[in-house]
Amino acid sequence: MQDKVLCSISTRGRYFTTLPLAISAVIQQTRPVDKLVIFDDNDDAQDLRSDPVYVQLFQMLEIKGIAWEWLWADKKGQHHNHQSANTMGWTWVWRVDDDNIPEPTVLETLLAWTNDRVGAVGGAVLTPPLQFENIKVTGSIDRIYDEPNIQWATITHCQSVDHLHCSFLYRAGQHDYNLGLSRVAHREETLFTYGLKQRGYEILAVPDAVTWHLKSPSGGIRSEDNHELYQQDEEIFRNTLYLRHHTIVVLNNGMGDHLVFKRVLPDIDNPVVFSCYPEIVPGRSIREAKDLFGDIEQFNIYRKMDQWKWTASLEDAYRKLYCR
Amino acid sequence: MIIISPYAKALPNGGVNPKNYPFWSELISMISEPIVQVGVHGEQPLVDDLRFGLSLPDLAVLIAQCRTWISCDSFFQHYCWDLGKPGIVLWGQSDPNIYGHHSNINLLKDRSYLYHNQFLSWDLMPLRTDCWVEPQTVLTALQRF
Repeated sequence: MQDKVLCSISTRGRYFTTLPLAISAVIQQTRPVDKLVIFDDNDDAQDLRSDPVYVQLFQMLEIKGIAWEWLWADKKGQHHNHQSANTMGWTWVWRVDDDNIPEPTVLETLLAWTNDRVGAVGGAVLTPPLQFENIKVTGSIDRIYDEPNIQWATITHCQSVDHLHCSFLYRAGQHDYNLGLSRVAHREETLFTYGLKQRGYEILAVPDAVTWHLKSPSGGIRSEDNHELYQQDEEIFRNTLYLRHHTIVVLNNGMGDHLVFKRVLPDIDNPVVFSCYPEIVPGRSIREAKDLFGDIEQFNIYRKMDQWKWTASLEDAYRKLYCR
Repeated sequence: MIIISPYAKALPNGGVNPKNYPFWSELISMISEPIVQVGVHGEQPLVDDLRFGLSLPDLAVLIAQCRTWISCDSFFQHYCWDLGKPGIVLWGQSDPNIYGHHSNINLLKDRSYLYHNQFLSWDLMPLRTDCWVEPQTVLTALQRF
């Protein structure tokens, strides 16, 4: 799987608008993807193998030797689908939205910027008409509320940033998507890429990798109009941001696990601990962790060891999860 | 005095934890020194001297007083490790390389008995009696303390 790239598209409400354009653009990359997986999140999913456009798109994939898979998703939101892609065992995942048209050299360019220290690379994601050209953007998480996203305008030089959005190439299996977000998955990619940054990886915004974003008033997360869901997700985002200078530790497991973790705690940078057994590892409650972050599975050490196919000690697994 | 901690935490489905050693009675009958059994209320007594439901500080005091201890793969082995008191851990299908500590004597019959997925809930693991060391092996290990 070294340097192999899975392309992941999560789709909803765009069968006959932008999705075929996105697939076509993926097929025409100068550096072909090694596999394309499409997560179908539609409420009324359709089998498109007899649709004349899709029939030919699927044939084009096969002619070009690109493996592809169409998966019926759980309708929980695109973050669940991206998390599935994240844990499929690939080195890199290139996520492309179902209303994106990456120019043919995008993947080749993004890959050229990768090295062992890089966690994610994104190019410009431009929505016509262009609105944010000539604005100096830092890409800092501290400026998230007062500057446009760096990918919304032409990127002229490589810049190290804190977060990306929409479409980017990322190192898979290193950080989890927050599955506590609602189906609208507001801020999911910001939380995800910033999480990679917090794990010590560089996040890069790079030039000459333009993806066109055919922003549509319908489909995708705009299929949801429940404002409360956005507010709920924003709350999780704010809570995460508030504690961003800490290492969040959640011990939702047994007493023995707490005892083993205790040896690791002194080596964790600025920890904030939530624990089941505060008499062993002092901390705030698990209930509070769930309220703050929505989902705490990302801290489940057993799930992590399973994902990592772990054979070393539990103590070392904790170190991998929490020590940067 | 030797402490035994025979049982791992009861399973959510109420079933017997497959990490429990099945030959405690035979083993106990072979040991010729006082034995204290620790655990939680409701567990099956194996000896006369039972200390169930102790607080962590009280358990620590008891552990400090014992010559050594014998346990299945449970909280107790981690607690003794944390306190710096070495003992014997009886392993069946869980992996001492992951969950054990080098300071203990970890008795595993054979790695071929380890459950294929060490990270799922233990209630998915089958109950087996063929995956454990014999009581005589435990007794021999006990003589090393």
